[in-house]
Amino acid sequence: MLNLLLQLQLLLAALSAFLPLVPDAHRARAGEILDVAAKVLAAGSSIASNADDLAAKLAAVRAEVEAMAASDTAVSVQQLDAAMERVRAASGAFRAALAAEASE
Amino acid sequence: MRHPLRVLALACALTLTPACASLELGATRIENPLAAAQTIDQRAYALLHVYAAILEEATDIVADPATPLAFKQALGQAERVATPAADTLHVAVTAYVRARADFDVASGASQPTIQRSATALSIAARRLNEAVAEAQAPIAELEGLIRAHRG
Repeated sequence: MLNLLLQLQLLLAALSAFLPLVPDAHRARAGEILDVAAKVLAAGSSIASNADDLAAKLAAVRAEVEAMAASDTAVSVQQLDAAMERVRAASGAFRAALAAEASE
Repeated sequence: MRHPLRVLALACALTLTPACASLELGATRIENPLAAAQTIDQRAYALLHVYAAILEEATDIVADPATPLAFKQALGQAERVATPAADTLHVAVTAYVRARADFDVASGASQPTIQRSATALSIAARRLNEAVAEAQAPIAELEGLIRAHRG
């Protein structure tokens, strides 16, 4: 997804290079359209980046659980504590971000 | 050439069509780590990590000034339900792992000891199943909100 957006951004940049060839009467409008398209692509890129981030994290968890299942390994108390520690840290960061937003 | 812009746009579209067709648009596949688990403790372990990953994602969304306030509040409400459920799940799965270790140790002991540890393991397994079922719903709700935000 990120690759696609990057390709579209490059295409947009290439199209921008043709702007001087556009007749004077339409150049401003064409410039505005390209500008809006660039903003939309930038926003899409930000969302896709988050999506890819979550997908990568879930894929890593799945790989770990698959390895456990394949080797018939039981989960240890230390692993469970580490997982819960990650939850607590994430929960703390989430609540802090929410409180910061509420105070603004 | 009367309409150079149109010609250019058409050329771009024609050039890009095969490339776009070969791409899997929206191809960010969301893995389901729970499906890989073979045992109930692995399932619980996967669920805790999945929830942590979802919370990390939710934190990014909340920190984004463009996110509507009502959506942030909905995320906060879902988190307030899901985190205690994850806590209960952690307690239940830890108790289960300990009960299973006790049962393994007791296998060479006397019959009453084996019976006692088997009963304790059975109770721990039942509580863990309940805790997994209770944690899944609020975590899925938070995940659903995040997916909805992504569109």
